[in-house]
Amino acid sequence: MNTTVDTANYGYVTARVRVRRAALFDEDDYRKLVRMGPGEIARFMEETEYETEMNALGSRHDGVDLIEYALNRNLAKHFDDLLTFAGGELYENIARYLRKFDAWNVKTIIRGVYTDAGQQTIADDLIRAGAFSDELLDRLTESTSIEMVVEQLSNTIFGPALEAAYSDYEETDVLVPLENAIDRAFYSELLGDVPENPSEPTKLYVQLLRAEIDFRNIRNALRLARSGADIDPSEYFISGGQLFEESELEQLTTNVGQLTEYLRHSSYGSDLEGALDELEEADSLIEFERALDQALLEYTDALTNRHHLSICPVIAYIRAKEREVDNIRAIARGKEAGLTGEQIEEELVIV
Amino acid sequence: MELQLTAAFLNAMVLQAGQAAIPPATGAAIGFGLAAIGAGYAERSIGSAAVGAIAEDRGMLGYGVLLTVIPETIVIFGLVVVFLLQ
Repeated sequence: MNTTVDTANYGYVTARVRVRRAALFDEDDYRKLVRMGPGEIARFMEETEYETEMNALGSRHDGVDLIEYALNRNLAKHFDDLLTFAGGELYENIARYLRKFDAWNVKTIIRGVYTDAGQQTIADDLIRAGAFSDELLDRLTESTSIEMVVEQLSNTIFGPALEAAYSDYEETDVLVPLENAIDRAFYSELLGDVPENPSEPTKLYVQLLRAEIDFRNIRNALRLARSGADIDPSEYFISGGQLFEESELEQLTTNVGQLTEYLRHSSYGSDLEGALDELEEADSLIEFERALDQALLEYTDALTNRHHLSICPVIAYIRAKEREVDNIRAIARGKEAGLTGEQIEEELVIV
Repeated sequence: MELQLTAAFLNAMVLQAGQAAIPPATGAAIGFGLAAIGAGYAERSIGSAAVGAIAEDRGMLGYGVLLTVIPETIVIFGLVVVFLLQ
């Protein structure tokens, strides 16, 4: 693609994305939402960004389900929009990143088929923002066995990994091997396609993804270290990050103190300082994971400020939008379960 | 490409005029043209970003147009040079 077209396109896409980012719910909105009941939340959402989706789905669902499906559909709409805005290299990179919804959908379908959830229920839970076509997704939801799902996915990026993991699944009858295979296929594809000598914008994209992979590894490592379970950490290791080597991770997961010390001296040390302090003080993993999410968002935002005409604002928007959807869902589900406002507020990640 | 053309043009001017490499009026015209090209180049990405912002929020129209035409000032400076020479 012609470079002049590309630079102008970056301006166009980032301007649109920044306006949308600014329109996301802010702290005040969350404070209001936390005080509402599920019915009020639904009414509040009808007056915002989510109006179209709430109205479209209102006749089929109600209560918290309605909120959740409206959130998913809105998310898919916005991310599809991003692809229509972008061209050239930017398009390629966004599309590759949005494959994470393919991974999400495949997992949802496998879980749905495993629990005999029924076609409509599975279809409602899908987020149609990835690269899979609607026909493929519909065909997948019609599957009656996991074997059928795996077969139909044989031509996609998940094909080889799923086929390899299928025998494990047959032996143990748990979904963990399949879900791990999906995650790994997704991340290896994400960095695998990148050309040998990436251009400047693509280098930035790789940097962002590395951060995401590193943060995921940190989370997995801490969970393993805390649980003390005798699990081989390398089974959960996602390669492609810059922070850990597979062998290092194995040593570090045996000792939480050692791991936090290692993180403090890593390149993310200053970004993660708050999160690590919180971990040492509160000694709670939930707090730490929340702080980790926040740190990732802040890291992406810092890169956005440094490289304003790049893919960074787009990825920052995608992550922020996902957080918003997660937050609203947490509020609605929390209210439904009868949690208090303070308890829910602790779960929110607000940037 | 543009540079080569300009160089060829300048060579031709030197041959024609004999003494001054470029006559003042021609120099002013070249300056004006280059200023306009520069403004166009700058407006290209500002314009596309402005259209993006306006598409999301109509209220941005005023700011969008204002920011898009700011590089236009360079062209006015180019024009000022032309008037100074006359």
